Amino acid sequence: MRNQEGPQADGESEAATSIPTSELDDWANFGDDDIMHQQSAIRAEEVEKTLFLGDKEPLSTLAAEYQSGSGILLEKIKVLGEKYAAIRRTRGDGNCFFRSFMFSYLEHILESQDREEVDRVKANVEQCRKTLQSLGYADFTFEDFFALFLEQLESVLQGNETSISQDELLCRSRDQSISDYVVMFFRFVTSGEIRKRSEFFEPFIMGLTNATVEQFCKSSVEPMGEESDHVHITALSDALGVPIRVVYLDRSSCDSGGVSVNHHDFVPAVGDLPNASSSSVTVTPFITLLYRPGHYDILYLK
Amino acid sequence: MSTPSRKRLMRDFKRLQQDPPAGISGAPQDNNIMLWNAVIFGPDDTPWDGGTFKLTLQFTEDYPNKPPTVRFVSRMFHPNIYADGSICLDILQNQWSPIYDVAAILTSIQSLLCDPNPNSPANSEAARMFSENKREYNRRVREIVEQSWTAD
Repeated sequence: MRNQEGPQADGESEAATSIPTSELDDWANFGDDDIMHQQSAIRAEEVEKTLFLGDKEPLSTLAAEYQSGSGILLEKIKVLGEKYAAIRRTRGDGNCFFRSFMFSYLEHILESQDREEVDRVKANVEQCRKTLQSLGYADFTFEDFFALFLEQLESVLQGNETSISQDELLCRSRDQSISDYVVMFFRFVTSGEIRKRSEFFEPFIMGLTNATVEQFCKSSVEPMGEESDHVHITALSDALGVPIRVVYLDRSSCDSGGVSVNHHDFVPAVGDLPNASSSSVTVTPFITLLYRPGHYDILYLK
Repeated sequence: MSTPSRKRLMRDFKRLQQDPPAGISGAPQDNNIMLWNAVIFGPDDTPWDGGTFKLTLQFTEDYPNKPPTVRFVSRMFHPNIYADGSICLDILQNQWSPIYDVAAILTSIQSLLCDPNPNSPANSEAARMFSENKREYNRRVREIVEQSWTAD
């Protein structure tokens, strides 16, 4: 609002002398609040150019993005191409991890019709509900979000009146009134898990942000649009009992010469084990996300 | 018409009636669940003690995914409250989460009264006074408290 672009109509000579002082005034009046508003407005405008979830695209579109860029990334994308066929992009609005997880999980259920998995995850969701209750959250603040997720879960199972197709799943995932509610459901679940096992998560949180568990959940988990890190992924994977593979596409390289692409599997803690990584069974995650610094998209196996 | 936001606001109201936090009250205006009036009482043993400050909360159909617009109707003198009554508080902006209900919003504003954040001033005079001349600041706050009794 206070930013003036280019010379104004009223007198250039006057403008030339008055600009320095008026600029100074402007900046003096330009509070943190204004900057914050402007920053979020720019961000909002930028992200709204892309859908919450894009269409499935061949991996070659990813390579096209880096054509004029770093060679190592192009080589890594070539390696990725040996295993993965396609990518589905998500909007970079700070919710990309949760939204990728949402679509990837529901799409998996829709394709596999794995009723056992649905029953299992429902039991975990009930556990999450109890966790939030025992942490003192008022039921009405989270129950709508839980109900909406369970409704989506039910509707991807075929053979009911409420069953939906893959196209409809994509539509719903692009519909803010559904998509954001499910993202928020995951945020509740993640926050509950971190708070419940605060002793386990505390050192990781300290390493990330130097905040307490309480501050971290309030400022980095519960508000929409706050980006996710390994702490969020670990907590969500543990809470729902769903393993997640994250494939890293960055400039890192190893000395041995050959290019390889790193990945990390987040495997949920079994039973009451406090440490997630000590599971002895090897699990292959059915959810694979591509991580590029600051952003998550969905990857599809060949 | 019953929409998710309206249904949620009914529950917010129920909770506020059944289990009201100390020193706050609030209710929707007649026939309009999307517009609320609220009163925050100045916390005891502080310069704000005895003040009754009126606010309005305007909700949209995006609630609870988006925060309401909250504004003081009573005149205020506070580092984080603008001249038009709007409030600079993180949970009403970028740190909003549906976890907060009306009771939590009002409680947060109440604690902001005695615990201002001088680093993001909405009222620079109040902010400067708060950090440089606490006596004068407290005197101005007492004035506002007295005005809150007489204003309609």
